[in-house]
Amino acid sequence: MRNAYTSWTKLSSTHPVLKWSQTILFWLPTGIIFTKHGFTVRVVTGNSMQPTLNPDPSQPRDIVLFDRFSIESLRQYERGDIVALKSPHEHGKLLIKRIVALPGDTVRTLPPYPDKEVTLPNGYAWLEGDSSFESEDSNHFGPVPLALIDSRLVWIVWPWGRHGPLGTGKIGRRYSRSVEAAELERAARLRERV
Amino acid sequence: MHMLSSFGRRLRRLPINAFTAIRQNPKSVALGGLYTINFACACHLFLEYVATVQIVYGPSMLPTMSEAGELVVENRMRYRIDPRNLKRGDLVTLESPIEPGRFICKRVLGLPGDTICVDPTGLKAPSTEHVFIPKGHCWLVGDNAALARDSRDYGPVPMSLIRVIPFPQLQDFSDLSVVFELVRLLSHETHMHYLVR
Repeated sequence: MRNAYTSWTKLSSTHPVLKWSQTILFWLPTGIIFTKHGFTVRVVTGNSMQPTLNPDPSQPRDIVLFDRFSIESLRQYERGDIVALKSPHEHGKLLIKRIVALPGDTVRTLPPYPDKEVTLPNGYAWLEGDSSFESEDSNHFGPVPLALIDSRLVWIVWPWGRHGPLGTGKIGRRYSRSVEAAELERAARLRERV
Repeated sequence: MHMLSSFGRRLRRLPINAFTAIRQNPKSVALGGLYTINFACACHLFLEYVATVQIVYGPSMLPTMSEAGELVVENRMRYRIDPRNLKRGDLVTLESPIEPGRFICKRVLGLPGDTICVDPTGLKAPSTEHVFIPKGHCWLVGDNAALARDSRDYGPVPMSLIRVIPFPQLQDFSDLSVVFELVRLLSHETHMHYLVR
C-alpha cells in the first residue's frame, strides 16, 4: 500500500498532467457544492421565453447564469422574476418560466385553463412563459408548488449582443427603445392580471 | 534537563491564539481553512447523494414513526438512480408542497395513472369523490389519517419533490421493532383498501 503510494507520488511529480488532474479531483467537492447551492452557468433551449430568451430562432441557445442561492437559502420569490423549475410531469427536466403571481394572489387565467380566475393557495405560484402561444405553463397544469422552483435566472452570458441582467424591471441596454417599451407594456399587462 | 528546556522553548514558540497563528504563518493557515472547507463539502456530498440519518417527528406518521422523533436512515441513491424504484406502500421524504424548505415524510398510495378515492371516511372530501393521478405525480398519505395533512388536502404531488426513500428495514432501533413491523404492515394493509383500480 505504502509502496504504491510512494510510486504514485513519484509518477505524478514527474507528469504535470497527472499532478493537475490530481489537484482538480481533490478540489472537486468544493466546486460541486458551489454549483449546486450557489451559482452555475447553463444553456437554455426552447422558445417558450421568447422574446426575453432565445429571441432569434436561428440561434436557439442562450447561455444564462443561474442563481440557486437566493432561491434555496434566502427563499426570495418575486413577481416578474425568471426562474427554472423542475417539471411537474417529467422527472429530471427543467422548465424556464416567469413568476406571475405568488401565494394569496388572484390571477386571471388564459384560455386553456378551465377556470376564469384562480386564487393561489399557500405555497403555490403561477408561472407563465413569455410567449403564451408556445409555452406550456400554469395555464396548462395549474399552480405550481414553490418547492419545485430550482433557481433564478440572473444574467445572460452569451450571446454577447444581449449580455446583461434578467428579471424585474432590469431590461438593460441590450434592447432598442421600441423593444424596451414593448417589454414594459407586457410586464404591466402581467401585473394587472394579478 | 536539556530536553525539558527545549520543550519549554518550543512551547513558547507555539501560537497562543488564532491571530498570532495567522501573523506567523498566514499561507498555511489559509490553506488549512480551504482544506477544511473542501472536506466539509465532500462530507455534505456524501450525505446528500449516498445516505444520511435524519430525525422524523410529528403525529402524521403514527404508528410507523413515533411522535417524539425517530431516527431514519435515508437511502439517497435508490430514487436518484431510477424514479421507477418507487412502489406503492413505500415511505418517502419530500419537500412539502405547501411550505417550501420544510421536509415531510409520507407513504406512497398511488402512482401516475391510478384512480384514488380521496377520502373513504368522508371527513375531508365526500367519500364518492375520486381523483385520477396525472403523469409525474403521486398520491401521498400519512399513516395517521386523523392527524395527517397530506394529499387529501393538497391533491396529487409532483414526484420531482421527492428526495429520498428511507431504508425500510432500518427505521427503528428499538427492541420492539418486530411489533412495530407488524403494526406497520397492518396499517399498510388498511391503506391498500383505499386504492380503487
